[in-house]
Amino acid sequence: MRFIRLIVWKEFTQIRSDPLIIRLIVLPVLIQMFFLGYAITTEVKNTTITVVDRSNSPESVSLVQTVLHNRLFRFVGYASSESDARERIDRGDARLAIIIPADFAKGLSALSGADVSLIIDGQDANSSNISSGYITSIVTGWSLSFLKEKLAARGLRVRNVLPVEVHPVILYNPMLKSTWYMVPALAVVLVTMITALLTGFSIVKEKESGTLEQLMVTPISPVHVVLGKIVPYIVIGLFELSAVLVAATLWFGVPFHGNFLVLLLFGLIYMSSSLGIGILVSTVARNAQQVLFMLWFLLIFFLFLSGFFLALENMPVWVQNLTLINPLRYFMFILREMFLKGSGFAELWKQGLAMLLIGGIVFGASLLTFQRKVG
Amino acid sequence: MNPRVRALIRKEIWHILRDWQTLLIVLAMPVFMMFLYGYALDVNINDVKVMVEDPSPSPETRDLIRAIDQSSLFEVTGVVKSVANPGDVFKKFHVKALFRFSPDFSAALRRPGSPASIQVLIDGSDQNLGTILRNAAEPFLQKSALTILHVPVPATITLHQTILYNPQQKSAMYFVPGLMVIILMMISAMMTSLTITREKESGTLEQMLVSPIRAHEIMLGKIIPYIALAAIDGALILLVGFFVFGVTISGSLLLLTVASLIYIFTALALGLLISTIARKQEHAMMIVLPATVMPTVLLSGFIFPLTSIPIVLQWIAHAIPATYFLIVIRGIILKGVGLAELWKPMLALTGIGLFLMIVSIRKFRVKQ
Repeated sequence: MRFIRLIVWKEFTQIRSDPLIIRLIVLPVLIQMFFLGYAITTEVKNTTITVVDRSNSPESVSLVQTVLHNRLFRFVGYASSESDARERIDRGDARLAIIIPADFAKGLSALSGADVSLIIDGQDANSSNISSGYITSIVTGWSLSFLKEKLAARGLRVRNVLPVEVHPVILYNPMLKSTWYMVPALAVVLVTMITALLTGFSIVKEKESGTLEQLMVTPISPVHVVLGKIVPYIVIGLFELSAVLVAATLWFGVPFHGNFLVLLLFGLIYMSSSLGIGILVSTVARNAQQVLFMLWFLLIFFLFLSGFFLALENMPVWVQNLTLINPLRYFMFILREMFLKGSGFAELWKQGLAMLLIGGIVFGASLLTFQRKVG
Repeated sequence: MNPRVRALIRKEIWHILRDWQTLLIVLAMPVFMMFLYGYALDVNINDVKVMVEDPSPSPETRDLIRAIDQSSLFEVTGVVKSVANPGDVFKKFHVKALFRFSPDFSAALRRPGSPASIQVLIDGSDQNLGTILRNAAEPFLQKSALTILHVPVPATITLHQTILYNPQQKSAMYFVPGLMVIILMMISAMMTSLTITREKESGTLEQMLVSPIRAHEIMLGKIIPYIALAAIDGALILLVGFFVFGVTISGSLLLLTVASLIYIFTALALGLLISTIARKQEHAMMIVLPATVMPTVLLSGFIFPLTSIPIVLQWIAHAIPATYFLIVIRGIILKGVGLAELWKPMLALTGIGLFLMIVSIRKFRVKQ
C-alpha cells in the first residue's frame, strides 16, 4: 500500500510539474465539449430546396408553403423547369427539388390522386435519407389535413369519416432536441480519450526514457506501479465526468433525472475498461506514436459500434452481437437513460454488470501482460 | 534533388520501416474502417420496437396490431392489457413507442360518427427517431384502420423520388470519399508532428541543425516520405472501394490525384506547424487530435451535415482544409464534375496549404 501511495504521489508531482499537460487536460476537453455539443447533431436542418410549381393553383401554393415554412429547409428560389432544378443541384446551390405537375389540382380532386416529384442530391446518403423522410411526412400530413378540409367543405364532420383519432405524446425530450441525446453520450467519448491516452502515455514515456526499468529493480512490484499510476487518472476521469455533467445541464440545458453518485459509480466501473485498454496498449507499444495510433484505431472502432451516432438497431445482427463486447456501448446507454429517463440501478444493473465483467477481464489482462512484459 | 535531401529521405524511410507496428496500423486501419462502414452503416430505419396496450382485445384490435407489426417501420414486441406506469415500459423494455388503445376501441371503430382513440407515446430521446415516429404514426394508423374496415383509402398525393449521383444510396459511395479525407489527414498531420517532436526530444534535431543541412532540407526530407505513405493509403482506399464495394470514379482520376496531393501537402504543413509549437510528443498528440482529426471528422460535412450546425461552427468549417477537399472529392467521385465546377474549393484548399506551409517554415526558422 505504501508503494502504491508513493507511485501515486510521484505521478501527481509529475503531472503538476508539467503546466502544459494540465492545460492540455482541461482546455481541449472544454473546447471539444462545446464543439462536439454543437457539431454532433443528427438533425438535418437548413437543407437548401428549390421548387418547380407548374400547377400554380391554391392547392399547390398551400403545399409549397407548408413545406417551406418548416425550418428544416432553406428556400433558394423557384426554378423555371425540371432541367433548371437539375442544374441547380449539379452546381450545389440546392440539395432538394420539388416538382409539382400542371395537373396537380385536378388530380387531387379526382379519384386517382396527384403526383409530385422529388429530386434529391444523394451524395450524403444519411442526410438525403432523413430529408426525404421529412418531406414525405410533411406531404402526407398536408394531404391528410387537405382531406379533412375537403370533407368539412362538403358538410361532413371529420370525426364522422376518419376512423381513428391519434394523440401523439413525446416523452423525455418533448422538443426533440438533438443535443439532449448527444451531449450525455459525449461524456463517454471524452472520458475514454483522456483516461486511456494519458495512462497509456505515462507508461510508454517511462519505457522510452528507461525509468520504468529503474522502477522495476526497486522493491516495488509491477502491480504496484500500475495501480499507483492509474489513481491520478481515475481522479481526472471522474472530474471530467462531473464537468461534462455540469456543462450539459447548465450550458446545454439537458435535464439530469438520475442520481449523481450512481453515475459516478458507473463511471468508475467503466474506467476499469478504458484504463485497462490504455495499459494494455502501452505495454504492447514501443513508443508514443504507436500508443496514439493504436488507441485512436480502437476508439474509432468502439465509437462506431456504440450507438453514438449510428443506431445499433439498424445494424446487421452479427454486428450487433459484436457490440456486446464494447464497453462504450453500455456506458453510453447508461448515461443517456440516466440523463433523460432518470433510470437507476433497478433498470441499469444489467449494463453495469456487463461493464464490470468486461472491465474485469480487460484490466486483469492488462495487469498480467504488464507483469510479464515488464517485470 | 540534392544528395542531402535524398539521404534524409532514406533515413526517414528507415524509421518508418523499422516501426512496422505503426506501419501495419496505418495500412490496415483504412481497410478495416471500410469494412466496418460498409457493413455497419445502414441509414434506413425499420423495425422499431413498440409495445401495444390493448385493454379490451377484439378482432379489430388484433387486426390493427398485426398491421402495426407487419409494417416496415414498426415491430410489436409485446401486447399488454394495461399499463400502470408508462415510464416503466420505456425504462425496462427499451421500446421506442407505446400504442394505447382506448377501452371502447372496437365499439367506437365500428360505430360511425365516433372515432376510436389511440394515444401514441413516443420516446423522444433520439431526436431523429422521435421525429420520424411522430410524423409517421397518424397517417399510418388512419390508413390501417380504413383497411381493417374495408373502406377504400382515398388517394391523395403520390411522391415520386429521384435520387441523384448515388441512386441506390450505397453507403460505400458516401464513405469512400469521407474516409479519404480522414485517413489522409491522420497520416499526414499526426505522423509528421510526432516524428519531428520525437527528434526534438531525443536531441537529434539539434544535431542535424548544426550539420551543413539546411532547415528547409530537413523539412523536405521529413515531408516527402509521408507524402508517399499517404498516397499509398489513398490508393489503397480507392482500390478496395472499387474491387470490394464497387465504387467507380465518375470524374477525372488525374484531377483526383492532384487534389489529393494538394490536400496531403496542406495536412503535412499543419503537422509541421504543430511540431514547431509542441516540445514533447504528448503535447503534440494532445494538440493534434483536437486541432486536426476531430474537426476533420466532425466539421467537414462527412458525418454531420454542415448546414445543421451553428453559424460560428460553419465559419470554422470553412477554414479547415477537409471541408474543401470533401467537396472536391465528392464532386469527382460521385457527381463526375470537373475543374469548371470545382475550381473554387480547389483554390481555397491550395491557399490554405500555402499559408500553413509558409507560417510553419517561418516558425521553424525562428525556433532554431
